[in-house]
Amino acid sequence: MNRKKKTGIVGVIVTIIILIILVVLSNMDTQNMSSAENVIDYLVMPIQNGLTYLKNKISGNDSFFAEVDSLKAENEELKQRNSELEQSLREYEILKAENETLKEYVNLKDKYTDYTTVPASVINRDISNYSDTIVINVGTDDGIETNMTVISDKGLVGHVISVTNNTAKVQTIVDTSSSVSSTISTSRDTIIVSGTLEDNSLLRAIYIPTNATLVQGDNIETSGLGGIYPKGIHIGTISEIVNTQNITDRYAMIEPAVDFTKLETVLVITNK
Amino acid sequence: MKKTISVILIVVAFLIIYFLQSNFFTWFNIAGIMPNLFVILIVFVGLFAGKKLGLILGLIFGTCLDFFIGRYIGISGILLGTIGLLAEYCDKNFSKDSKITIILMVIVSTALFEIGIYVFSLIRNSIDAEILPFIKILVIEIIYNILISIIIYPLIHKLGYALENTFKTKTIMTRYF
Repeated sequence: MNRKKKTGIVGVIVTIIILIILVVLSNMDTQNMSSAENVIDYLVMPIQNGLTYLKNKISGNDSFFAEVDSLKAENEELKQRNSELEQSLREYEILKAENETLKEYVNLKDKYTDYTTVPASVINRDISNYSDTIVINVGTDDGIETNMTVISDKGLVGHVISVTNNTAKVQTIVDTSSSVSSTISTSRDTIIVSGTLEDNSLLRAIYIPTNATLVQGDNIETSGLGGIYPKGIHIGTISEIVNTQNITDRYAMIEPAVDFTKLETVLVITNK
Repeated sequence: MKKTISVILIVVAFLIIYFLQSNFFTWFNIAGIMPNLFVILIVFVGLFAGKKLGLILGLIFGTCLDFFIGRYIGISGILLGTIGLLAEYCDKNFSKDSKITIILMVIVSTALFEIGIYVFSLIRNSIDAEILPFIKILVIEIIYNILISIIIYPLIHKLGYALENTFKTKTIMTRYF
C-alpha cells in the first residue's frame, strides 16, 4: 500500500517535470540560444566560483572577514538605503506606467483625428485555443454599439460584437471567423484578410485576384467595403506569399501591425 | 447543508480555474496551446456527484463562460452539460479507481467539447474548415489535459469520494475496467 502511494507520488512528480519541460521547450526562442554553451556554463560556474573562493582563501586574500563589526554596520546602512531606493524605484515604475498609458491615448487621438473615438482598456482575453476575442471596459453608457471598429496606435484591432452597459466584446482580426475586406497599398488590389488556426499571430490573405502582384513587405489596409471597417486603417504587412498549383488558391500570410498578446489600450471609433 | 457547501466549493473551483485559464495558462502553455480545465472539472463533478449535478453545473458554468468571453451564448453550456451527463454513464460501466478511466474520459470529453465548439463555429460563421491545424491544436490540448489529470489525480480521487458520499446515497457496484 505504502509502496503504491510512493509510486503514485513519483508518477505525479515525473509528470510535473515532463509538463514543465514541454512548456519550456515549446516556448523557447531557438534562434537566440546557444544551448550547449548555456548548459556548460550552468554546470561549470558553481565549480568555478568555489575554486576561486578557495584560491582567495589560501592566498591570504580573506581580508573580507577582518573587520566584521564595521562591515556589519555598513551592511545595515546599505540595506536601509537599498530599501529606500527600491521604494523610490517602485514609485517611479508606477508613474512611468501611468505616463505611458496617457501618452498612448494622446498618440492614438492625434493619429486618428478624423474619427470620434472612445479610449478603452483591455480587461479580459479569450480562454479558448480556437478563437480570439477580447473584452474592453467601455459599453453602451459610453456610446458603444455593436459593429463599431476598434483600433490601436499600430493599426486595426477588430470590431465590437456585443455590448453591455460597461463592457464590450471585441472580435479581433486574428479570430478565425473574422474576415476583413482589405487593399494592398501599392497595387490597390482588393483581398480578404482572415484569421487562421495555423498561427494565431498571423493573418491569411485569400481571394487574391489572379492578376494581382504581391510583394513581400507590402502594406495592407482596410478597403472600406463591407460596412464595418472604415477605409485606410493599417492592418499589417505581407510576410510570406504561398503559391499553389491553381493560381486562384494562392494565399499570403500577413503579419499584423498590432501585437495582440501585448494589447492593453485601444480606441473605439464611434462615428463611421 | 453538506451538499450546499460542496456546491459552493465547486463554484469556487470554477472561479479559480477561470482565473488560471485567463492568466497563468496564457504564458504556461505548450506551443501557445492552453489546457481546458473546465472539462476536467465537469468530468469530475459528473463522475462523482452524479449526472444531475454534472448536467446542471455544466450548463451553468458553460453559459457563464459564454457570457464572460464567448461569442454565442449557450453552446459551451450545452456541451459541458452533455459531458456532465456522460460522466455518470461512464461511472456505471468503469471503475473510478482506475487512472486510465479518468484519462480516457478526459480525452473523450475534451475532444467532444472542442469539436462541438469548432463545428458550431464553422456552421454559424460559414468559414472554411482548417482540419489539420485544428487537429494539431486539439492533440496538444488533450495531451496537456492528460498531464494535468495525472498530476491532480490524487486530489480528484480523494475529493471525489468525499463528494460521492455527499451526493450519492446508494452504493453503485462498479464493473472494474
